[in-house]
Amino acid sequence: MNRFMEVLENVLMPVADKLNNNRYLTALRNGFMVALPLIIFGSIFVVIANLPFLDRLLGEEGYATYQNALGPASAATLSIMGLFVIIGIGYKMVEQRGGEAIYGGVVAIASFLVLTPQVVEDVSGGIPTSVLGAQGMFLGIFTAFFAAEIYQYFVKRNWTIKMPSGVPSAVSRSFSALIPITMTLTIFLAVRIIFSYTSFETVQNFIYTIIQEPLTVLGSGLPATIIAVLLIQVFWFFGLHGQIIINSVFDPIWYALNDQNLAAFQAGAELPNIVTKQFIDTFIVGIGGSGMTLAVVIGIFVIGKSRQLKELGKLGGPAGIFNVNEPIIFGLPIIMNPLVIIPWLLAPVIVALVTYFSMATGIVPKPAGVIVPWTTPPFLSGILATGNNIMGGVLQLFNMLIVFIIWWPFLKIMDKQYYENENKAA
Amino acid sequence: MMKILLACSAGMSTSLLVSKMEEEAKTRGISVDIWAVAQDKAPSEMEHADVLLIGPQMRFLKKKFEKRAEEVGIQLDVIDPIAYGRIDGKAVLDRALSLSGE
Repeated sequence: MNRFMEVLENVLMPVADKLNNNRYLTALRNGFMVALPLIIFGSIFVVIANLPFLDRLLGEEGYATYQNALGPASAATLSIMGLFVIIGIGYKMVEQRGGEAIYGGVVAIASFLVLTPQVVEDVSGGIPTSVLGAQGMFLGIFTAFFAAEIYQYFVKRNWTIKMPSGVPSAVSRSFSALIPITMTLTIFLAVRIIFSYTSFETVQNFIYTIIQEPLTVLGSGLPATIIAVLLIQVFWFFGLHGQIIINSVFDPIWYALNDQNLAAFQAGAELPNIVTKQFIDTFIVGIGGSGMTLAVVIGIFVIGKSRQLKELGKLGGPAGIFNVNEPIIFGLPIIMNPLVIIPWLLAPVIVALVTYFSMATGIVPKPAGVIVPWTTPPFLSGILATGNNIMGGVLQLFNMLIVFIIWWPFLKIMDKQYYENENKAA
Repeated sequence: MMKILLACSAGMSTSLLVSKMEEEAKTRGISVDIWAVAQDKAPSEMEHADVLLIGPQMRFLKKKFEKRAEEVGIQLDVIDPIAYGRIDGKAVLDRALSLSGE
């Protein structure tokens, strides 16, 4: 067993290393971090705008006025999150190389706008907000990568206009970006023109049809989701931060699915997706942290006779309520512990299946597309994620019960071992 | 005054350690400044620190941080997983002190 673990660890470490130190994935992850405060701001107002019972309290007309008044909060942030992600990625890409980062952000968004059809329902002079939301997410990410790379390339070639030494440095800096930005945007303009002669007409269409749609369809399916969930657990089993590694690959897909749901939720239409960012974050990871260890903490309080487990419960419990579970993962321990590998891998898969089917059958509403901060305690986070529906919280409690039952026999064995060891030592 | 920087994915779980380490330093009468940050902030925070300790779940970042640590001339290490699980402020403070050679 030890030998097997060693071999696996030797495989996983380089994967984690590659995924996390890859410059594009790092920029992607950190770019999303830039957008996160805005996304959460928008989410808060979606929640407030859709509080339960308000429609009855205010009357139909009053409720519509209320929703219209709060609408811009999410329309300006959450619904067009692609805009901020693009700026964030462009910024981080250039920052990594030690360049003038703000130009990276600017050149990324400008390149994206160059590619964007500026026509809304046959009226020119407008930028459709839909391309800045879910629909344009993938094109935005690729554009930010390419724009920042091309910009950097020309900065490195040093095709800059050199100023005499007496010129203030801010002035010469603004000129130093001139040629790289001009070259970058010209290339993107050429790309746009080339695509206008193809059957796709726009780059938007091309990326959406060729890449985004197939990937999101794949990512919204149960098999890909189970694989992602299992990978998160396997990485954590070796003490490597599973979500941060897997999210850097899946986040664009999960956020795009989330945004589709948000648009439908706000339009009062049927929600299209079950698997979204919040499906993973709220119903699978967000019940005490990866592996839903809040149920394990409860198990420790119920079963624990050994001093070791009792101490651990006290250490890990309060943090667990806010979905921080490193004390449990390293303290139980879960890492490299053959005894817990079965519940550790099995529970999240069962919970993913239960969550999926309870949403597919309509017992629990699908995620409404709001982004709930991951430190929100379970029950509350479930209610918020489903658009203020109590069933979201109930499903989380049910999921906890499942985890609790699966863990029960294994916790019992572990507690007994610790208890006997402690008595022997005493 | 010794300055100890802790880094993990979001600076959450390492912040649990911060208060435990501060308590331990206080009982020993050592003057320390300890703070926890998310991993993406670590490279820029490193220049204000004497020592960087990385959460074991982020140990795959050690190689990347080593380059930066060399530039700003500080020592770094990954926190022992057992000490991390126990939120053992004493053991982690000891490691930080021995790293900085004090």
